[in-house]
Amino acid sequence: MQTKAAQRLIDRIIIAIMAVLGVFMVLPFAWLFSMSFRAPGEAYKMPPSFLPPNLDFRNYWAVLHSSVPFLQIYWNSLMVAVVVTLGQLITCTLAAFAFARLKFPGRDSIFFVFLIGLMFPAQVTIIPIYLGFAKVGLLNHPIGLALMYLTSSFGIFLVRQFMRSQPKALEEAALMDGAGYFKIFYRISLPQLRPALSALGIITFTQTWNYYFQARVLLEPHDAMTLPIAMDLLRGYMASGNLSVVMAAMSMAVLPVILIFLLAQKLVIEGVTMSGIKS
Amino acid sequence: MIARTRSDLEKAQTRAGYLFILPSSVLYAVFVLAPVIVTFILSFTYYDPMAGSHWVGLENFQRFFTGDRSLQIFGNTLCFSLFAVTGNVVVGLLLALALNRAMPAFLLYLFRLAYFLPVIIAAAFVSIVWGYFYGDDLGVINYYLVHLGLPAVHWLTSSQTAMMSIVIMDVWKNTGFFMIIFIAALQGVPRNIMDAAIMDGSSYWRRFFRIVLPWISPVVFFAIVYASIGALQVYESIVILTRGGPGDVTRSMSIYIVEEAFDNFEIGYAASISVIMTLVILVITTIQLIASRRWVRH
Repeated sequence: MQTKAAQRLIDRIIIAIMAVLGVFMVLPFAWLFSMSFRAPGEAYKMPPSFLPPNLDFRNYWAVLHSSVPFLQIYWNSLMVAVVVTLGQLITCTLAAFAFARLKFPGRDSIFFVFLIGLMFPAQVTIIPIYLGFAKVGLLNHPIGLALMYLTSSFGIFLVRQFMRSQPKALEEAALMDGAGYFKIFYRISLPQLRPALSALGIITFTQTWNYYFQARVLLEPHDAMTLPIAMDLLRGYMASGNLSVVMAAMSMAVLPVILIFLLAQKLVIEGVTMSGIKS
Repeated sequence: MIARTRSDLEKAQTRAGYLFILPSSVLYAVFVLAPVIVTFILSFTYYDPMAGSHWVGLENFQRFFTGDRSLQIFGNTLCFSLFAVTGNVVVGLLLALALNRAMPAFLLYLFRLAYFLPVIIAAAFVSIVWGYFYGDDLGVINYYLVHLGLPAVHWLTSSQTAMMSIVIMDVWKNTGFFMIIFIAALQGVPRNIMDAAIMDGSSYWRRFFRIVLPWISPVVFFAIVYASIGALQVYESIVILTRGGPGDVTRSMSIYIVEEAFDNFEIGYAASISVIMTLVILVITTIQLIASRRWVRH
């Protein structure tokens, strides 16, 4: 049997190993931020830096004045992510309320059909969506990408599970008093859902911010792009010398997600765990 | 006297129910169900909007399963998935075991921050960074290898190492997700059973294989399926790191679908490849469902 002291020593060694590994995990991010401050001429000078040598924002300036319409692209990304997040919060909560609290014919089979949607990869829907968008003129408009994701099976599932874990006595009492269903939803259920909705909002925002496959197929012109595809384009433009400028663009592109994560680490992780364990 | 009768209430509830699911149902039908059905139909056709499309039966599927190039791409995708899933789940589980011990709260906070950060950043972004790390002459990794007196590695430009380099980045990026769900699962292992086993003097790894692993096995199953579904769709990390090369050694099904559909306008053939991908996902999910049912019965 291990003694207490031996156990404590093992704990310490493992924590030390995890700390070293943890530094390696964040090294690429440290590198990208520090490189964004290097003068373009020294971009490839070795050794690489993992701490910013200075705080010279010239590369950031260069990104905003390059031939790639970076501000427009940033705006596209922001617009798509905000529209999708708000859209999902509304549509998923409404549907989740119906599936968790109301009884109507076909409810469980309809819910099952929504769950099946979790298994379809974007690859199996993209071709008809591309052809359809081409027909109605939505191709090469960022709003088309947003439209595709205004609801999600995952969101409905997440909110429904959360709602089922909440007591429904208040809702039943309000029903007895003659309140309409929408009023019950809005006044009683919605305020209880705050943790689930913040988790869903954060997950949806970061996921949408990161879409690449769909965006690459649907959005070709530079001023219609979102950030993930634009970054690849920028790298091509700057291939030879301007690694630092690409990294300045990258720093701006990852900033919103990193900020959200730093401010709401617990919510992000809880949301992900919720999504993981319960399905 | 006006009283709400039972049937009135039922009717009102039915109407409200359909109204509440209406927005999601319409969107889901338009952007998921209909496209999936259309893709299935397209996979049996030769699509040509000008001269007229026609039915070709299983020809597209036959072409996929008899072509050398398509079979290589199919093999690449399965091979990548096998290594990426194993790597992500095993490393995630080891990290979870390492963190599942008493430590100060701020340390745990920092660890979760560090290990989870790559999970939430787009693969498209981190792949560009890793592209510079993996560079042959100006790459960050090779700089340190050479400094240590080791030979430089052709991470992305040699057909022997390219796929493994992509797998390594994938594990770095995604294993934190699995670590987090395994930590949650480990905390559900009943304390008293563990204490009893410790009293009996069974070793750490014996306890792990006899008690912990069976207890968390539903979560492990879930993790394997979830990781497989993601890995089979691998796209941007490969597009950015190697563009499918050298040759075709890292080309994945997703890349092939996009090339066939939107560069060559082989819509029917591309649709059949995405149907095959969906069927593989379906099979894996079904196996998991059956396996986890059997586990629950024990």
